[in-house]
Amino acid sequence: MTGELTAALEAEYAAIFAYGPIGVKLTGAEQTAARAAEAAHRTLRDALVLALTGTGLPPAKAAYALPEAVVDRASALRVAITVEEKAAAVWRAALPATVDTQRRQALDALTGCAVRATRWRRFAKAKPITVPFPGKAPA
Amino acid sequence: MVLTDLVRGGDEKDETPIRVRRRAVLALGAVLVAGAGASGCGLLDDEPDEPPPPDPLQPLADDAVRLAGLHRAAAVAFPDRAAVLTPIAEAHEAHAKELARIMATAAPSPAASASASGAGTEEDAVEALRVAEKAAYESAVQACLRTPNHRAALVGSIAAARATHLEALK
Repeated sequence: MTGELTAALEAEYAAIFAYGPIGVKLTGAEQTAARAAEAAHRTLRDALVLALTGTGLPPAKAAYALPEAVVDRASALRVAITVEEKAAAVWRAALPATVDTQRRQALDALTGCAVRATRWRRFAKAKPITVPFPGKAPA
Repeated sequence: MVLTDLVRGGDEKDETPIRVRRRAVLALGAVLVAGAGASGCGLLDDEPDEPPPPDPLQPLADDAVRLAGLHRAAAVAFPDRAAVLTPIAEAHEAHAKELARIMATAAPSPAASASASGAGTEEDAVEALRVAEKAAYESAVQACLRTPNHRAALVGSIAAARATHLEALK
């Protein structure tokens, strides 16, 4: 279980890092959504740090590679979609390693990432805005 | 022959009869057990086969088939919404198919009739879909919490997908 949660923590660090440049390139409702998304990932990170305390949890790095450079609104939205999809994938992978309260937390995290990805696809006018199996790599 | 041995052993009153008697009792016991087993099989054969209990994920699959039908019907009634509704219907169909695969049941047939969106305004129809998705999401969450580890990722994805449908129907 620790391995899966450690992977989730790395993904949360990366998501928090990505929303910095993303937020800068967005305005209005999109910027508000970016701030809310960043706050949600900080909450997830904090919960993971708490859960993993005493297991030699990895520290956050100074920087994380982005899937592409965030240079304008369009690239900011694309990166936001990718960040949420990646985070959804690690949380989905954590589900089989969890029970009870931790499974609920992992499921809520997966769901949150999936819903935010849908929201970003709508902003980006991507189609479709939903995927059949959030967190699962496309076949 | 067994009885003869017993009687003869009894008459001789030496150590042998006890061993013989033990063997005889064991042999008799073996016959009785074999007979009971055979008659037991006969009894079971006469009874109708009990249907296996339904898989705990069957309600989740039933929901998926039903929701697929609702979204298909709504997409026909409100073509302007089809770009959102059709992928949602396809997702529910994919869920039903995947659940059938892991439950090793027959692939579900598409929902025969769904007419929830046949009456009322577009807003009413979308609201009805939202209500149905929310209930289905909550069922999927409970199913995910109860399901064995090897099914948790699939059921979790289905729960998350239903939550995204709610978002998409805004």
